[in-house]
Amino acid sequence: MSRTTSRRATSPTAAGSPAQAAPLSKDSALAAEIKALVVAGTRDAARERFADLVALLQRRATRIAYQYLRDVHDADEAVQDAFVKVFTHIASYREELPFEVWFTRILVNGCLDLRKARSRRVRWVLPATGAGETAPREPVAPEAGPEDQLLASERGCQIAAAVQQLPERQRAVFTLCQIAGQSMNEVSQTLGLSEATVRVHLFRAIRKLRGLLER
Amino acid sequence: MMRQPHLSDDRLIDVCLDRAPAALERQHLETCDVCEGRRASLARLLADVSEVARDEADAVFTPERLSKQHARILQRVDREARPGRIISFPAGHRRGHTLLGARPGMRWIAGAAAAGLVIGLLAGRFAHVLPAGVARPASQAGGSVAPATLRAVSMTMSEEEFLGRLEVAIEGTSGSALRPLDDLTPLVWEVSAR
Repeated sequence: MSRTTSRRATSPTAAGSPAQAAPLSKDSALAAEIKALVVAGTRDAARERFADLVALLQRRATRIAYQYLRDVHDADEAVQDAFVKVFTHIASYREELPFEVWFTRILVNGCLDLRKARSRRVRWVLPATGAGETAPREPVAPEAGPEDQLLASERGCQIAAAVQQLPERQRAVFTLCQIAGQSMNEVSQTLGLSEATVRVHLFRAIRKLRGLLER
Repeated sequence: MMRQPHLSDDRLIDVCLDRAPAALERQHLETCDVCEGRRASLARLLADVSEVARDEADAVFTPERLSKQHARILQRVDREARPGRIISFPAGHRRGHTLLGARPGMRWIAGAAAAGLVIGLLAGRFAHVLPAGVARPASQAGGSVAPATLRAVSMTMSEEEFLGRLEVAIEGTSGSALRPLDDLTPLVWEVSAR
């Protein structure tokens, strides 16, 4: 299991960004370079570097968004929105923070907004269920595609169902820690929680998953 | 030698989350098959969950889809994130590109139009200041009633006078032309009697 420490690579500080004692990760160095280029007015060069940044983080971003939204198109939209927002507001990026944390926060907030919009759509647009029934389940990705062949395995279905049964906060923490590979410190910055709270949610999530999957 | 108690669930989770176990815990895990089995089971579970979640997303977001997404992001960046073009005015206007600057003859036309406007305004203002007889000699020559006089009469004329004059006008010679029309028009009591 790869942890965050292994993803931190030493790279030279971008030109024009403030000198830092701690080595920057590759994405943070790229972001600092893009910011410097945008501030300097060389927008085309910044766009070229931004393409590299997107390629670097895209896979991980889609994993997080898909885990939150469980819908291909919504996840795609959330990832696109997050990257566009990053480029639009790159001048406000602070180099002393890891870029990954800043980006993940933007992405997670976008995912939560999309989920809210989708729940409103489900509540008002789709036909209402009976009064005694529970709230409608969130739409999931369309099945029966070649990409869903993995879910055909019973174990995969069990695990996916178990993760979906986690409470919202526990699922968010678990997703960022275990699937996105963030450290507890990074998750606490991303979600705006204390590290102790992140730890509690993560431990509860793991215990619950173990209870669900080891029956 | 007293045997170490079994590791708690939380400590096992800590160990599985790559938190290096202390020397005593490591020693216990090496000697206790039960705890080592629990640790291995938990580590396998976490690895399975992470792997399934990643594979699930990776199966949906194929390389082709990611490639399209990458292109779409850059398109949106080009379209949406581009700042609006600021048109500097008037300092940014180059003199050679202006209409007047390009054609010097147009200056005279513009100057003449402005002068005409000023003269027109001044003439209009002086026309109000001058007496009516001086301002409109043509109307006096024609012998018709001046608008100022007509306005004065209409303002002072009562309703009775107006209706009287109307009757006189109808009964006069000029009113004879309207007589056939008056005969065709039904009277009020004729209509109400029907």
